[in-house]
Amino acid sequence: MMQKKVCMLGGFAVGKTSLVRRFMTNVFSDHYQTTIGVTVEKKSVSVDNRDVMLMLWDLYGEDELQRVRESYLRGSSGYILVMDGTRKATVDTAIALQQTVVRTIGTVPFVSIINKSDRRADWEIDEGAIEQLRERGWTVLFGSAKLGQGVEELFALLATQMVSAPVLPRE
Amino acid sequence: MSTDPHRPHRDSPSSEGLTSVDEDWTQLRTLLLSPEQTQLDELRERLDNRGVQPREISRVLPEAFAMRGETDQHLSNVLTPYVENGFVAAVRKSPRAIVDAIAPIMGPAIRQAIARALQSMTQSFNRSLDESLSLRGLHWRLEAWRTGRPFAEVVLLHTLRYRVEQAFFIHRETGLLLHHVAAEGAVVQDQHVLSGMLTAIQNYVRDSFGASQDQTLDQFQVGDWTVWIEQGSEAYLAGVIRGTPPATLREDFRDALDRIHAEHADALTHFDGDPAPFKTTQTYLESCLHAHYESPPRPSALKLWILGGAGILLLSWWGATAYQIHARWSNLLAELGAEPGIVVTMAKSTLRGYRLEGLRDPLAKDPSAMVIEAGLEPSGIKAVWSPYYSLDPQLVETRAQSMLQPPRTVKLDLEGDTLVATGSAPIDWARETKRLAPLIPGIAHYRDEGLVTAPIPDLLERVNRTVVHFRSGSSAVEPSERAVLGVVSAALRELDQAASQSGQRVVLEILGSTDETGPVIRNIRLSKERAEAVRSVLEGQELGGGTTMTTDILRSSKIPGSQGGSGARIAIVRASLTATSRGNETTPP
Repeated sequence: MMQKKVCMLGGFAVGKTSLVRRFMTNVFSDHYQTTIGVTVEKKSVSVDNRDVMLMLWDLYGEDELQRVRESYLRGSSGYILVMDGTRKATVDTAIALQQTVVRTIGTVPFVSIINKSDRRADWEIDEGAIEQLRERGWTVLFGSAKLGQGVEELFALLATQMVSAPVLPRE
Repeated sequence: MSTDPHRPHRDSPSSEGLTSVDEDWTQLRTLLLSPEQTQLDELRERLDNRGVQPREISRVLPEAFAMRGETDQHLSNVLTPYVENGFVAAVRKSPRAIVDAIAPIMGPAIRQAIARALQSMTQSFNRSLDESLSLRGLHWRLEAWRTGRPFAEVVLLHTLRYRVEQAFFIHRETGLLLHHVAAEGAVVQDQHVLSGMLTAIQNYVRDSFGASQDQTLDQFQVGDWTVWIEQGSEAYLAGVIRGTPPATLREDFRDALDRIHAEHADALTHFDGDPAPFKTTQTYLESCLHAHYESPPRPSALKLWILGGAGILLLSWWGATAYQIHARWSNLLAELGAEPGIVVTMAKSTLRGYRLEGLRDPLAKDPSAMVIEAGLEPSGIKAVWSPYYSLDPQLVETRAQSMLQPPRTVKLDLEGDTLVATGSAPIDWARETKRLAPLIPGIAHYRDEGLVTAPIPDLLERVNRTVVHFRSGSSAVEPSERAVLGVVSAALRELDQAASQSGQRVVLEILGSTDETGPVIRNIRLSKERAEAVRSVLEGQELGGGTTMTTDILRSSKIPGSQGGSGARIAIVRASLTATSRGNETTPP
């Protein structure tokens, strides 16, 4: 079975692990647990009737104190940028992270998601900011790990992009 | 209007002249433009027939496949269904050809897998068997019972020196698992997640210590397990080892990794997440699944021989002893069975010794003494004897002797169930015996017609005080003396009867003597004549068949009433008893 390494990236407490948990086991917990280092999970999805095993590297959330380790990014076939709709700063973190990824491993498929759509009234990220992201060429999805909205679509979309993306020979 | 392109325009009016020129021109043109003309013909043919020529495609097809394959997977995706259908059709149409083609590959792989499984099973079985009967094995069996684990697993854990339980072949950059093998019985978690975490841990450690790319985490330890990591240029090999592995194991890891890299260099370089090309690494990874167990110390051959010899000797000694004891036991039972007055009712051999039960006459032989005589240990035999009276003739006679206490002059014999008393005895004893004898167990009747109640000593005394007197110079028995001899002969007849009934006979000695007057020779002859004269008188008295008589000269010193020196004209009689059968004298004269 085809395997693909996928990194979950985003700021601190944006809901990366919650999205993975919802994707893996369809379970959500209100109890927050910070990820220490990295946790690797796996889940199979079907793309064009072909099974693809996603190896999800759930990295700790980046903040002012700790930066994502570039070594974790190497070998990724794609990545997911997670933002918290209630915290506008997480957009900047996502942008910075995306630049880091490009600088480290080059251009690979990625999808971004603005999490916590169940608290839409509290959102700080407005349409303008979202439009700016789309202008950067980002695919921006909306979802809620808590309600399970947009999770399956998120991973399915990235899997499709990764499978159809040409494999560039490495230097 | 049709024109021949190969024919030039002619302006000459003369047909013959023109013909000649045309031919020359044509010949010249052929000589000069023949190669180009051929190419023009081919080009015209291509233009006229615009379809794709297979020959041309065959020239470029391999290169076209290679170029597109390097670009993306589209060609593979397009061809895959046709290849699959073609393969299925080929298998259905000619399965034999497929079998022949894959047999050389599958055969060794299957054989190797079976051999490995059998080897593992045999090894486990032998080890379990080796340890099942030893003291250590019993201890482990107890542990297995206590912990609820299989005995074979407990043995394995205790005797294991090291075992490579799992081997991971992991793509270095992506952390994706390329292939994985595990030993039989090894606990395998999700190997894909483990591969990712192993890679993440290595990255973390390297980043944390600021190490360069070629400085890697080579090993780490968790409880009983050690994980050895051997790095390659594109992928790394991780072995999960239980126990303490030798350093040489790394060389095996390295060797396997190098071989895989050499054989799969292209697949590793172009790895896109598909691990299928790495299934063929199975053999190399399995070669890393080493296991080494502690061998129990084997006793030397000499020690085994000595132990075996000692065992055989001990067994032989035990067998011989047991046989000997059994033979003695059998002999004892035979002797007890033949012994009068002893009846064995139960005899058996138990683990704690022998047990005997039976009946014993109080007058019978002591069984304990018989046990000792048989060579057995009395403490090893528990015997219970109940008393009884035996009717065995020997014991009945002994019982009669014991109860009746007969005098020495009485002889008791058993004839069937009748006790017969002969000899002489006091009248009181004879009377008491007649009353008691029938009461003795085993005696129904009593007879004593042969028993003389007059005492023999009295008879002897009556005979021995007889003195026959003679006239001087005469050896004739006087009539008065014949009366004396008549009394003696009556006593002798009674004595002869009593003696014969008690198994004795009477020996009668007649001694003659003279006074001291006259010549000595004459006196000696006269003494003999006087003794013979008395003898002849007694012989005429019918003394009895059991009496014998002898004559001799009576020495003057032995003459009754003689004071030594002076002789007497007498003859005396001396009677004594001698046992008939034994020849021993029972009664002194």
